[in-house]
Amino acid sequence: MFDHGQPSYAEVNKDILSTMLETGPRYWMLLGTTMSVAGICFFMPWVYQLFVGVGAAGMNHNAVWGTYISNFIFWIGLSHSGTLLSAVLHLTKSQWRKSIYRSAEAMTLFSLMTAALFVMVHVGRVWFVHWTFPIPNQMGLWPNFRSPLMFDVMAITTYLTASSIFIYMGSVPDFAAVRDASTGLRRRLYTIFSFGWRGTAREWHTLGWAYTFFAVFVVPLAVSVHSIVSWDFALSVVPGLHHTIFAPYFVCGAIYSGTAGIVTVMYCLRKFLHFERYIGQVHLDNLGKLLITLSLIWSYINILELFSGWFGGTSFELEAMRFKLTGFYAPLYWEMILFCAFVPLLMLFKKIRLSWNKMLVISILINIGMLTERFIIVATSLPRKFLPNAFGFYFPSWIEISITVGSFAIFATLFLIFIKWVPAVSIYEVKETLKPLRRNT
Amino acid sequence: MAVMGAFAYEDDFLAAAEKLKSSGFDKISLLSPLPLEEAQEVLGLGKSPVRYFSLGGAIIGAISGFAMAFGTALVFILPTGGRAIMALPPFFVITYEMTILMGVLFTLLGFHFISGLPAWHDKPYLSSASIDRFVVVVEDAAAEQVARAEAILRDAGAEEIRHVEEDQ
Repeated sequence: MFDHGQPSYAEVNKDILSTMLETGPRYWMLLGTTMSVAGICFFMPWVYQLFVGVGAAGMNHNAVWGTYISNFIFWIGLSHSGTLLSAVLHLTKSQWRKSIYRSAEAMTLFSLMTAALFVMVHVGRVWFVHWTFPIPNQMGLWPNFRSPLMFDVMAITTYLTASSIFIYMGSVPDFAAVRDASTGLRRRLYTIFSFGWRGTAREWHTLGWAYTFFAVFVVPLAVSVHSIVSWDFALSVVPGLHHTIFAPYFVCGAIYSGTAGIVTVMYCLRKFLHFERYIGQVHLDNLGKLLITLSLIWSYINILELFSGWFGGTSFELEAMRFKLTGFYAPLYWEMILFCAFVPLLMLFKKIRLSWNKMLVISILINIGMLTERFIIVATSLPRKFLPNAFGFYFPSWIEISITVGSFAIFATLFLIFIKWVPAVSIYEVKETLKPLRRNT
Repeated sequence: MAVMGAFAYEDDFLAAAEKLKSSGFDKISLLSPLPLEEAQEVLGLGKSPVRYFSLGGAIIGAISGFAMAFGTALVFILPTGGRAIMALPPFFVITYEMTILMGVLFTLLGFHFISGLPAWHDKPYLSSASIDRFVVVVEDAAAEQVARAEAILRDAGAEEIRHVEEDQ
């Protein structure tokens, strides 16, 4: 598992904690850049939109959903492999999970936060967003639980809560390690964060059981979240959206893009935090194999979606399909097929699967394809419902494009802050993969 | 008074813990930088009661989720296109999510309750226990037991032995 020799326990602490405790100018420059891009590209256009109204975006009478919603789906999707993969691999006792899961779970958390921001941008009057929660109020307002949008609120709130608890609880022993390695204010803060953890057998025992139960809860939760997001679309009767295959399609796509996201994040961690010792070829190889499997399932579901549309034979469905395959957005559709169905096949070659640079490029292409997929779902369906005289057109405005770019900067900012507050690789779980410290082995 | 012995090797540490248990020291804590199943076995920790919290939370979540959706439909009658007012499929989704939410929250509560955390007051601890040392702590040792505990720890190969006055 370790490409550069097995480290000692003390080296594991030192290597991982040094990424938190030692901060160079390059980090501050990077953080400053991402924060500036987030401010300029995301928050400033959003403030402008708040002043002039959602008409500033490219949405119109027919296309009431646009890039904000497609980005929302993208970020929810990206959140899927972190917690889900971590939970599944924990339950199946996979050893290779241990070096990568903490950052993958952080990815989940920050993707969810970014996704939640898109809901706020989309709704326009963000100051009323609390109306979607079942909070007693003097106006007698109460959510309608039969609406798929309320399913979304419940699912995403639950997912955000469960993911936060999952990553926090897994980090408690490592917070204790940070506490022990620091002084002053940082030591006081981490004493609070670690709950006074000492690493007693009883604490480990309880954490182990609780963590397994968290994992058991999180797996069906993650599957439900993207199924529910898909029902926002599939429960409508819009041609191109009203498909029973949508729930597995969305869940598969989510895990697919999330896994590709993990490869990208792992590359950055290895490169910039020098985790070469802990994130090695075995992780890349396994993630590559997982990506191939997911790409084949994703391709199959895409073929099935087209087949069921064609087999159904209704003129509305056939027209929706024709527009998707040959209409204005057809180049984007075929780009998606190229990046998500064909490019991943390159990973069948072990040489490519074991090359960090090539895997980085493939993982980014997959996520470009998945971002496009979500855009196509929104942009080719709602504006072209049923009768041609009611057809409209949707094209994102510069505000939407800018906010999309800014969302990546928000994600990067959150991740950069995270790596200075939480050990990006689990210290105690890496130790579990090392040779035990026994006198009589 | 607490007596602490720090070990460099797991097997020495486990042997010391077993010896202390068999010598009648019931109040011992075993500190390690990673979870050790053998240490949990020495202390006789079987299935954790945290599972009752998980189950209880899930049941409470399921009941409250269904009640919330059902009660809402009952109080706010909202006929839409001839569809059922008491529509079970959408209520199931809310029930499902609330089951998981409360299950997770109660598991968290159970963790804190059973592990005794947060415990921010001073307890016998060596910071090397979060790096590479395995520490046996004999807690609440009476004055006449201290020497015996220390001897057991030393015989088992403890690298360092400390005496700590405990908070009451």
